[in-house]
Amino acid sequence: MLSIQNLHAAIGDKEILKGIDLTIGPGEVHAVMGPNGAGKSTLSAVLTGRPDYEVTDGSVTFMGRNLLEMSPEERSWAGIFLSFQYPVEIPGVSITAFMKAALAARRKAQGLPELKAGEFLKLQKEKMAQLKMNPDFAKREVNVGFSGGEKKRNEIFQMAMLEPVLSILDETDSGLDVDALKIVADGVNALRTPERSSIIITHYHKLLEYVQPDVVHVLKAGRIVKTGGRELIEAIESKGFDQF
Amino acid sequence: MGHGRYIDPICGSHYKVAAGETLQLTYVVLPGESRDIDVAVDLTGEGANLEIKALYLSRADEKVRIRTLVHHRVKNCHSRQLIKGIAGGSADVRFDGVIVVAPGADGTEALQENHNIILSETAKVETLPQLEIYADDVKCSHGATVGRLGEEELFYMRSRGIPEKEAKVLQMLSFVSPVVPEGREEEIAAALRKL
Repeated sequence: MLSIQNLHAAIGDKEILKGIDLTIGPGEVHAVMGPNGAGKSTLSAVLTGRPDYEVTDGSVTFMGRNLLEMSPEERSWAGIFLSFQYPVEIPGVSITAFMKAALAARRKAQGLPELKAGEFLKLQKEKMAQLKMNPDFAKREVNVGFSGGEKKRNEIFQMAMLEPVLSILDETDSGLDVDALKIVADGVNALRTPERSSIIITHYHKLLEYVQPDVVHVLKAGRIVKTGGRELIEAIESKGFDQF
Repeated sequence: MGHGRYIDPICGSHYKVAAGETLQLTYVVLPGESRDIDVAVDLTGEGANLEIKALYLSRADEKVRIRTLVHHRVKNCHSRQLIKGIAGGSADVRFDGVIVVAPGADGTEALQENHNIILSETAKVETLPQLEIYADDVKCSHGATVGRLGEEELFYMRSRGIPEKEAKVLQMLSFVSPVVPEGREEEIAAALRKL
């Protein structure tokens, strides 16, 4: 479903991704691990179309389409979701208003009728219950005054609402205690189907104990230097990234 | 429009607020309107309250001038000014806000905020808040900002599938919401969509 070939990307004059090749099939969970500064977040930024990042070479195909030509919102409508490492505060906009706008735009893009108010609220309530979130959460302004754990849970809630085809979890495990981590992991696992895929970006193994990846990649200095199975997680845990 | 007495409109509007009274003033300048708002308020009786809210939305070559002069003449009066707006095109906006706290006007609480978003390189916003305080026991604060729509917020919303235009409208709505008069939300939202 996702094919990345020889991807080079830069911010300003600084080249960060130096030729990434990565192919993800339906239903697969890929972990991308690497030390700080390896280019992990740049990879998620480029896949979701963040401005300021320039693709200087290579191609990305998602479900047969040229991903790099699509706007961030078009990528979302096509089924790409990023759980932000640093979720953004949007003062004055409630979670309900935010999700309503997001779902309405996507359904419009897909040629579907807008959900009725009651249907939307029911769906929102269900997803919040799954993630053990207090229903009052829906009234709060997006991420304003949220703790680190609440922000990450809110990301997973949005993911559950949007039911993406490809989820990219960027350091979703950082700043979470064990209980919050389990809830997040359950949320991710609940979305696992033979069609849906995920990329889990992390620099340590915590989340990968709960969400088991099919493939593990090591990203270092802008390149994937090693690809393997779960045994790589253990190798990284015991000997770090210097061995690669 | 409140309970203040209307005094002498020689130059702009001049209001006097007596002891225990509250004056609320609300101004809305819609896209396409050039306006010169000049308002002076004297808080002349103890415990007088003033609230000024102003909103402007400009998108072409409008010229908007907002001048406020709030004079705390006696003790324990409160004033709160919130002026917010969005300027696009080659709009030209200027806010002059003066707060004077007279000698002996202790217990004064005066707040003045002027926040602006500019949407284009050619829009011009000047903001000149001034405080003149001649009493000792006062709480005064003023703040002024001129900024742009947040890129981070925009990208976050777009990554959830909210189209860029709609994301901007949501951001602008949340920015102006504290100064949107009750009952005019739809009208203001419609005006924002055209900025």
